[in-house]
Amino acid sequence: MFLACLLVALAGGAVGLAALLPDRADADETLVAASVCEAHELRARQAEDPSLQIQIPPEFDSPWPTRAACLSHAAAMDESTPGPIQPIQFSHKHHAGLYQIDCQYCHSGTDRSPVAGVPSVELCMGCHKQFPPTYDELEGIRTLKDHWKLQTPVEWVQIHRLPEYVQFQHQAHVRKGIACQSCHGKVEEMDKVYLVPDTKWWPWLLPTQKLEMGWCIQCHRANGASQDCVTCHY
Amino acid sequence: MTPPPAESVAAMIRPVPRAPDSKVNRDLLAVMEGASLGYWALLGLSVAFVGLAGGIWIYQVYKGLGIAGYIHPVFWGAYIVTFVFWVGIAHAGTLISAILFLFRAKWRNAINRSAEAMTVIAVLTAAQFLGIHVGRIWKSYFILPYPNQRGLWVNFKSPLLWDTFAITTYATTSIVFLYVGLIPDLAIARDRAVGWRKLLYSVLSLGWQGTSRQWKSHNRSVLHLSGLATPLVLSVHSVVSWDFAVSIVPGWHATIFAPYFVAGAIFSGFAMVLTMMIPVRRIYGLEGYITNYHFENMSRFILLTSIIVAYAYGAEYFMAWYSGVESEQTAFYRRAFGPYWISTWTMILCNGVFPQLLWFKKLRTNVPFLFVLSVLINIGMWFERYVIIITGLSSEYDPAAWGIYTPSWYELGIVAGSFAFFAHLFLIFLKIFPVVAIAEVKEIAIHERSHAHAGEH
Amino acid sequence: MAELDRRDFLKLVSVSAGGAAAAGCSDHVEKLIPYVVQPEEIIPGKAIQYASTCLECPAACGLHVRTREGRPIKLEGNPEHPVNRGALCALGQASIGRTYHPDRYAKPRLRGAGGAYEEIGWDKATALLAEKLGAAGGRVRALTGELGPTLGSLFDRFLAAAGSSGGRLHYEPFGYEALREASRAVFGAGVRPIFDLEGADFVIDFGADSLETWLSPVEHARQIESAREVTSAEGREARLIYVGPRLSMTAGNADEWLPAKPGSEGILALAIARVAFDAVRSAGRPVGGDPGLLEGILAGFDAESVASRSGVPAETILRIGRAIAQAKRPAALPPGVALTSRRATATTAAVLILDAVVGAIGTTVLLPAEAAAAPEPASFREILKLVDAMASGQVAVLMLGGVNPVHSLPPGAGFADALAKVDFVVSFASLPDETSERAHLILPDHTPLESWGDAAPQPGVRSLVQPSVRPLFDTQALGDSLLQVGRAMGDSVAAQLPAGSFRSLVEAAWSGTDFRAALIRGGVFEAAPRGGALPVAASAARIEFKLPQFEEAGPYLVLPVPSPLLHDGRGANLSWLQETPDPVTKVAWQSWAEISHETAKALGVERGDVVAVETGFGRLELPALPRGGIRDEVIAIAIGQGHTVGHYASHDAEGRAGEARGVNVIALLPPLTDESGGRAWLTARAKVTATGAHARIAQLQFTDNQRKRQLAESVSLAALAAGDGAAHGEAHGGEHGSHEIRRPYDPVNDAVPESPYRWGMAIDLDRCTGCSACVVACSIENNVPQVGEEWVLRGRQMPWIRIERYLGDGEADLENGRRRPEDREKLGDVDVRHSPMMCQHCGAAPCEPVCPVLATYHTPEGLNGMIYNRCIGTRYCSNNCPYKVRRFNFFDYQIESWPEPMRLMLNPDVTVRGQGVMEKCTYCVQRIETARQDAKNAGHPIADGAITPACVQTCPTHALQFGNLKDPQSGVNQRIEGNPKRAYHALHVLNTRPGSTYLAKVSRGAEPEEGGHS
Repeated sequence: MFLACLLVALAGGAVGLAALLPDRADADETLVAASVCEAHELRARQAEDPSLQIQIPPEFDSPWPTRAACLSHAAAMDESTPGPIQPIQFSHKHHAGLYQIDCQYCHSGTDRSPVAGVPSVELCMGCHKQFPPTYDELEGIRTLKDHWKLQTPVEWVQIHRLPEYVQFQHQAHVRKGIACQSCHGKVEEMDKVYLVPDTKWWPWLLPTQKLEMGWCIQCHRANGASQDCVTCHY
Repeated sequence: MTPPPAESVAAMIRPVPRAPDSKVNRDLLAVMEGASLGYWALLGLSVAFVGLAGGIWIYQVYKGLGIAGYIHPVFWGAYIVTFVFWVGIAHAGTLISAILFLFRAKWRNAINRSAEAMTVIAVLTAAQFLGIHVGRIWKSYFILPYPNQRGLWVNFKSPLLWDTFAITTYATTSIVFLYVGLIPDLAIARDRAVGWRKLLYSVLSLGWQGTSRQWKSHNRSVLHLSGLATPLVLSVHSVVSWDFAVSIVPGWHATIFAPYFVAGAIFSGFAMVLTMMIPVRRIYGLEGYITNYHFENMSRFILLTSIIVAYAYGAEYFMAWYSGVESEQTAFYRRAFGPYWISTWTMILCNGVFPQLLWFKKLRTNVPFLFVLSVLINIGMWFERYVIIITGLSSEYDPAAWGIYTPSWYELGIVAGSFAFFAHLFLIFLKIFPVVAIAEVKEIAIHERSHAHAGEH
Repeated sequence: MAELDRRDFLKLVSVSAGGAAAAGCSDHVEKLIPYVVQPEEIIPGKAIQYASTCLECPAACGLHVRTREGRPIKLEGNPEHPVNRGALCALGQASIGRTYHPDRYAKPRLRGAGGAYEEIGWDKATALLAEKLGAAGGRVRALTGELGPTLGSLFDRFLAAAGSSGGRLHYEPFGYEALREASRAVFGAGVRPIFDLEGADFVIDFGADSLETWLSPVEHARQIESAREVTSAEGREARLIYVGPRLSMTAGNADEWLPAKPGSEGILALAIARVAFDAVRSAGRPVGGDPGLLEGILAGFDAESVASRSGVPAETILRIGRAIAQAKRPAALPPGVALTSRRATATTAAVLILDAVVGAIGTTVLLPAEAAAAPEPASFREILKLVDAMASGQVAVLMLGGVNPVHSLPPGAGFADALAKVDFVVSFASLPDETSERAHLILPDHTPLESWGDAAPQPGVRSLVQPSVRPLFDTQALGDSLLQVGRAMGDSVAAQLPAGSFRSLVEAAWSGTDFRAALIRGGVFEAAPRGGALPVAASAARIEFKLPQFEEAGPYLVLPVPSPLLHDGRGANLSWLQETPDPVTKVAWQSWAEISHETAKALGVERGDVVAVETGFGRLELPALPRGGIRDEVIAIAIGQGHTVGHYASHDAEGRAGEARGVNVIALLPPLTDESGGRAWLTARAKVTATGAHARIAQLQFTDNQRKRQLAESVSLAALAAGDGAAHGEAHGGEHGSHEIRRPYDPVNDAVPESPYRWGMAIDLDRCTGCSACVVACSIENNVPQVGEEWVLRGRQMPWIRIERYLGDGEADLENGRRRPEDREKLGDVDVRHSPMMCQHCGAAPCEPVCPVLATYHTPEGLNGMIYNRCIGTRYCSNNCPYKVRRFNFFDYQIESWPEPMRLMLNPDVTVRGQGVMEKCTYCVQRIETARQDAKNAGHPIADGAITPACVQTCPTHALQFGNLKDPQSGVNQRIEGNPKRAYHALHVLNTRPGSTYLAKVSRGAEPEEGGHS
């Protein structure tokens, strides 16, 4: 299931990149890269068929941003994949997956507060201000830096939302060692985060969707957690 | 109900086409034909009122129950009062059809159809008030015990849940009962009807031919249905009464409530039958079929139940005094002499005192008097529920939290609408279904004839 | 808002066929907006507390401002603060509403030619004021409320720099000027005495209303009630005696009430002093001054003669005189606002002399050195002088801050007209009121929650004000406004003003201290110089003690009563205070005239009939409220209502703009002073006539007769000593009663015996004064909506906790239950029982079995859970609740009663209930869950005292206690076990086995009985 989504995401990324490429009039024309990302792409294609003639202008001949970054960035804004388009082309796969940044590094409230918390622009800049300027080629990075320049917050679209009459305690679950993935899905493999559908058949063979009450209850049952109503409703 | 001799059945069910139709058929089916201007006016009026009430209700759902007259701590009001009232009305039908049938009370035949129809309509009217009363109707399906992903279940300890079942059961049973009784008459209508009616009756009469085999099964099913329905007459209103009896509200938690409510229900049910049938008989000239003899029998029932109800009133006050519980005594004292004294005395006069006039045969057979009395009784019974519910809640255990409730105009609008709803369904029924059970009337007639015949020998 | 759309949508679905199919389309996009730079102390989802100071009244209680994501959501008392020790009054609790008030001025405003206001920028406003001040040529005056030392001195420096001649006047409607003058006359010390009632064993209150508004009510309430703690021998002996014409809230908490003729308090005090004088001398103790001098003063005030003039029997005077002479720590409190007559100084002096005679000076009545004394408001005479100056055009620019004289000065003073004669009036109000609406220029100040500042309410107490939220609107701190204007006025002025911002000024003022520590503690608190036992000075002999004269216009003496909730009217624009009923009459949102039943008969009026009250100075029409607890010749009207401006203070919210809510009793009063220039209130007699009109009174409790139903119990001290108590009354069935009391979680009713917790509460009726702070605290903590006058009249009020007020055990006879009964008050009868009533969280709860959908049920920890999103609104639970504590959302109060920006103060931990569901007290389950989580994180069980529900937290007298009933060591258990004779369950005959256990009020009688402490 996840793999499928992943493939879709990658394919989408490829499509997105293809769009960036100049359409080729005929085979023996040399392809000139117009950006670092494009340079990465051309090199990759040349590796496939050596006959391909490519030219990388020196200003684009830089390892940064990496090809992975380029792909993730493209995938993160691909509308054909599930999940809403975020104001910034931020890829969890790139950060949490490839670079294995711990979830709690950014979502720092999870183990001491009811809410996980979304990182401040300052926290993002903490790393990104040290990045080589060539990274600014990525629109997402530029957007981030604009937010920092203008000191305006990023308005993320909420994906995992509980009704207002449900009081959820992140700290309780995280401290019990419940993996983030068990509710949020394999975020580290998603370029664009979405609500991974998950259906449990409980009780009496009734389907219950992710973040529905029955879906919470079946897990509470399985783990002997409280099933008292006021644990979550007050 | 023993099956009539086959030839007589053939005679009545399959009339020779060109032969003159039987008078009975003509008289009774005439009711269903050609509506007069007055009919349409009446229908229009009641439909208009239903529309008005519907509008109010939609506004209430949107704005909130606050538009009703509720005041802390009186959180049940005119809606529940009217609900109980209509459930009560719904009782005469089953009683007449089922119990009197089992007791072979012949006189019931002329009125059982209308009584049964009334039952069904009244139950439908009552049921709506459950929805009108709740705060979040858009969540009211929570009250049904259906398996759900939340894994939540309903509370079978709650009288309100018992209510839900009681009402639905009663509605189903009485509808089936009415329909089964209708089948032979529908066949008669079918044979004479044309156009859409023909189609309607053909479908509804389930191909009734009046063969003795059909009669046998018909009679058997009626018999069994009566057996099933009889306990319901007692159960439904007992359950409704437990809404109050099992609570701890002073003036509510009394063991007498179940019989008290059932008697009251039958009392008001018969009264309503009178209120409806007297005009119908007058307008459609059914004096030949619904005779004073029927009315007199009903009056006897009314007298009996009135005595029971009056006794219950007395018993309540006695128990309040005898228990020595101050909160009970206060509640009942306030009932009679407190802010609600008018309602209380209306109820006592209309339900306990006036019906005693029925001891006189002259009055029992005086139709105009019966009509007036039946209307008074209906009023009295509505106020009985008002008194029980409102006075109980208005002065409970904590004197710091007493309150005086008066219904708002919105509430009264919806209550009025419920009467209109009842009326317009009954009017429509008049025109679509035979209001007097033709087959059974004939059956009686035939019996009488055959007995007379035997007498000659 | 999107949420509301969803709900409306569902409603429509429910009434439209086939809506279910469309139900899926109702979801909407929610945004997550993080910080740009997240302050490291802020953890989203966690509350942070900032220590600050309550500036609602001069008492200056310490605050802990609970904030979530940078927004204050609740005010709580600062436990370290010596004034309030963690408690707050109703006004303090509600004051958070000022910051989120729908009325707030968003920008500076300038009155145009047409009289309409236009919003202008700060630069323009500053420049304009600077120009006006420059042109005023020194004819600049200022009238402000209590500003605190730093801001006060800055203001004075500013005025000096601006060349103001008269300078600034500090105006308090409740100035208690007589206190200072009297102590000057009696002791030659020109300081306001401080009353320290800690451990006082005999307090006689000459109408001070010391539990309501007088000086420092939270402090005095705590001191008096803990001094009377009945578990201690001293507590059993301690007595509170009240003198006054009306059964006020304080009177209702006294052990004895002397309904003396209003105005005769002084001579009564002297008569008592004289008896005490003889007793003290015969005991050979010092009499607090030169005996000869005192003898001379007290001569002629023998019990008999005073008895006839005051209406207090001679033997009572003798008894009290002897009793107070024997007391170890006695205290006599001089009259408060209601009884400050034109002889207030003499009356106060008389009371101080009594204090001196019984040796209270230096022990309970402190006269600190002048230097240490708290800042004093200007006397009424000075205010009147200012008004004259304004009227005669000597004031070019008038600066107003934190005062509303148009409302709080008698019309006779002519302030409004004088104001019109001032060329340029500038107001620093942050909320509109009658005065600010007359200003030419409005420079809106921050609210206290947005400001820096400090306060020095009493010697030894320096309290700090720090902001806990970024200003919601384009407002500016008063201090900064002054600095800006000063700089705009040119270098000459700027040179005389400090550099930097007002915040730096505050820091500078606190430079002597550890500022960080002060920020954390809320201030610097040291032992105050108590001042010695000054002897009565010879000047005292020159005071003439006479009964006051009144402006005669009729037979009825107008008694202007400070409202325990609205204070002098400053609370009127806070919806919580308007909707919380008056502790005595239980009237909300309205004005009423208290008259005796006799008077009512004489006038031929009944409850709610509108009477016209007419003095030579004004005429008011308001509904009459006959009651037994008031003298026949008195008509009492609460101060505080009668505002014509404000969302809640007036009828603006109902779209009747400019229409006054209730009446302003001050309009009846002449602008008179007492002998020494202090403001006099008890000044006029009125003609009262029936108008024939009738008005509905929004009274939340109709009867004070509890019909012997054991809702609010009491036990006499003798019975307590003799060893039988409320819980053992014959009605309770002796031992069985007490058995029930001790174990409300009997296994038979305990759903989960293995659960370690059974939450419960102890409610001590002997300590509850009825002040209603808990009601306001609860409403704010739990997002309880305020429904407004119209709906209160129709019984739709929503409070989760109410204070029931009963007189005695009541009478059960039926005739009483017939109609709405008259009250049972009688002159001199003080058996008043204030009983907080909230969900009792019964072990065998009647509400639970009747809910068809299990929306209310019993939790493993004994709570009576209420699940809003399961409720379908059959309301059966409320019918079956004998305590009637459940409330129903008749409308969508999210829309109806949270105007912008008020929804910003909603508590995010508590669901905002939608239309059509039940709600009720939850024992603050959100706090239980938070405490549980913190305990879990720390890896230990929930500690006793870790959970304090809002009502418990704010109670000034510690009448409420919450905790785990299954832990024998828990405070709540100790409290219940410690008072086995007083513990009982409300309506225990119903066997609901509540989690809340009441402790019966102790009726002490006038004197300590023998064996009181055996």
